[in-house]
Amino acid sequence: MIRIILLLLTFSPTLMAQKIQVVDQNSQPVANAVVWLKGHSQSPSTEASYTMSQENRAFSPHVLVVPKGANVEFPNLDSIMHHVYSFSKAKHFELKLYRDKPEKPVRFEQTGVVELGCNIHDWMLGYIVVVDSPSFAQTDEQGFVDLDLPEGTFELAIWHDRLSDISEPEITSFNSKNSVLRYQLKQALLPALELSSDEFDDYE
Amino acid sequence: MNKWQVVLCSVLFGLPSSVLAEHEGLIAISALTGDQLASYQRTGIGLYRYDNDHDGTRLSQAMLSSRLELDRDWSMHSTVNVHADPSTTIGFSQAYLQYQPLTESRYKLAIKAGGFYPKMSLENPQSGWMSPYNYTNSAINSWLGEEIRTFGVEASIKRPGRQFRSEHSFEGVAAVFKGNDPAGTLLSWRGFALHDRQTTFNERIDFSVPASFSHSQLTKQADYVQPFEEVDGRFGYYVGAHWDYQKRSQFRIYYYDNNGDPSAINTRTGQYAWDTRFLSAAWLYKFTKQTRIIMQLLDGKTAMGKNRGVNNSFYSHFVMLSHKLDQHRLTIRYDYFKVSDHDDWMFDPNQSRGDALTASWRYQLSTQWQVGAEYSVLSSDAQNRPSMGFNERNSQQQLMLSAHWRF
Repeated sequence: MIRIILLLLTFSPTLMAQKIQVVDQNSQPVANAVVWLKGHSQSPSTEASYTMSQENRAFSPHVLVVPKGANVEFPNLDSIMHHVYSFSKAKHFELKLYRDKPEKPVRFEQTGVVELGCNIHDWMLGYIVVVDSPSFAQTDEQGFVDLDLPEGTFELAIWHDRLSDISEPEITSFNSKNSVLRYQLKQALLPALELSSDEFDDYE
Repeated sequence: MNKWQVVLCSVLFGLPSSVLAEHEGLIAISALTGDQLASYQRTGIGLYRYDNDHDGTRLSQAMLSSRLELDRDWSMHSTVNVHADPSTTIGFSQAYLQYQPLTESRYKLAIKAGGFYPKMSLENPQSGWMSPYNYTNSAINSWLGEEIRTFGVEASIKRPGRQFRSEHSFEGVAAVFKGNDPAGTLLSWRGFALHDRQTTFNERIDFSVPASFSHSQLTKQADYVQPFEEVDGRFGYYVGAHWDYQKRSQFRIYYYDNNGDPSAINTRTGQYAWDTRFLSAAWLYKFTKQTRIIMQLLDGKTAMGKNRGVNNSFYSHFVMLSHKLDQHRLTIRYDYFKVSDHDDWMFDPNQSRGDALTASWRYQLSTQWQVGAEYSVLSSDAQNRPSMGFNERNSQQQLMLSAHWRF
């Protein structure tokens, strides 16, 4: 097994850390965009553990990126129960009402966008983006992301929860020779869904 | 305890241990200085819950609110209240089954069956219909807490904004119910009051008897109300709509009609069916995360007797401003309330009006402990008071220090 992995690594193109910026149609930096390398032969590692918490009646983080095959824990940090579910094509699941932590993590085996909801607290909304790539990250406040990218031409996928079509990422081609890697989103971003819910909105 | 309460208890305590349950309890002890006018709770004409003869240290709330998950879609909800005044009682203020299926549809359906509150109030969002703002409820919600309860089926359909990637959420509500026929009795002979004493199922509330009760037209009327009783055999209904914007602005409007037949009377209990219908509109707006305003308006009519011998309209509104500063919550509320008499029974005047100012400070010591203080003043007049030997117009005040323990 180890030999096979070593063999694969030998034939995989070398990856180098590079900076990419994502901007909107007004050239303003876009924070929290998910960026990943497409079509890379190296399989993502699924050993890392991933967590999507429910805290203060919200999913935390709001968007989580995981590699295909990853196990995600869903701890409930609130004192009240939650009922997490998804009807998304990439993963159909339900964690019946629970406190603390469900017994088993949930495995995400299909790539795509998984929209999370809570059957008790209607306004709770979260996303898990399942990617088939070893190289993925989310942009910072200035829209920057550091990714391990190959030399030459490669494809990047970019996704944001405020894209008008969240079912698919935007795809773009880059050449590592470009000094500045900058991507302008093709779709306009929807206004942020601001939900100023508080502890008194629970019992509605 | 009547038959159905026994059934409910056996359901509550006979469930398998694997059923998920969520309980929330509250015990509130208050140190009070009450007014000299005897409280309506002691068949006086005072509009506060406590009076000079019944103040000092009191148990103001003791309740246990439970939610039991029966299966994926069904849950059982109940609130049990222990009250120490006017006498020690235990009873349910709410008990209902809820069906809330998890479906792929973006619209969310829920059905409730049992005894519960219509969701008209934005002042009482905590479990057990408690308020996190003032200790003493507004005149509107004091009345809803004592004379209004649904014993029936409510269906609601929500259009949650998140499902449609919209900042607006909508909900439509419709219910049919039995019971609640005598609702309106207290408004007619006592008027609005200000308190946090919720009526439990099958409870009765005594009131000060006006001189008009010695007239032949009113001799069948008891000197108490059993507000949730079924008298005329007819169904009542209500419909409501909620509109939320970002959870920042929340608006609710309801139209309630108990469809009472005013000529119907239960001679055994002395309860008439009152034809009571009203509109309630409530709005909550969060200026910031810390500061919010809540307003509610209630406008309705009530009548009893074969020829509508008692025929009144009622109106109330309140405006509340609440600010949270770290662990402190400061709330001030103004209430206005009025009952107008439209019948020709001159011997039974029902006109009353009043206004009140209530200021509260609540301090959260820990997740379980909260302390606070409240001062409330009101002035009111009622045309039937002179017949009972009181001034038509009275001013009252109530001062309260309170400690809450949640578990």
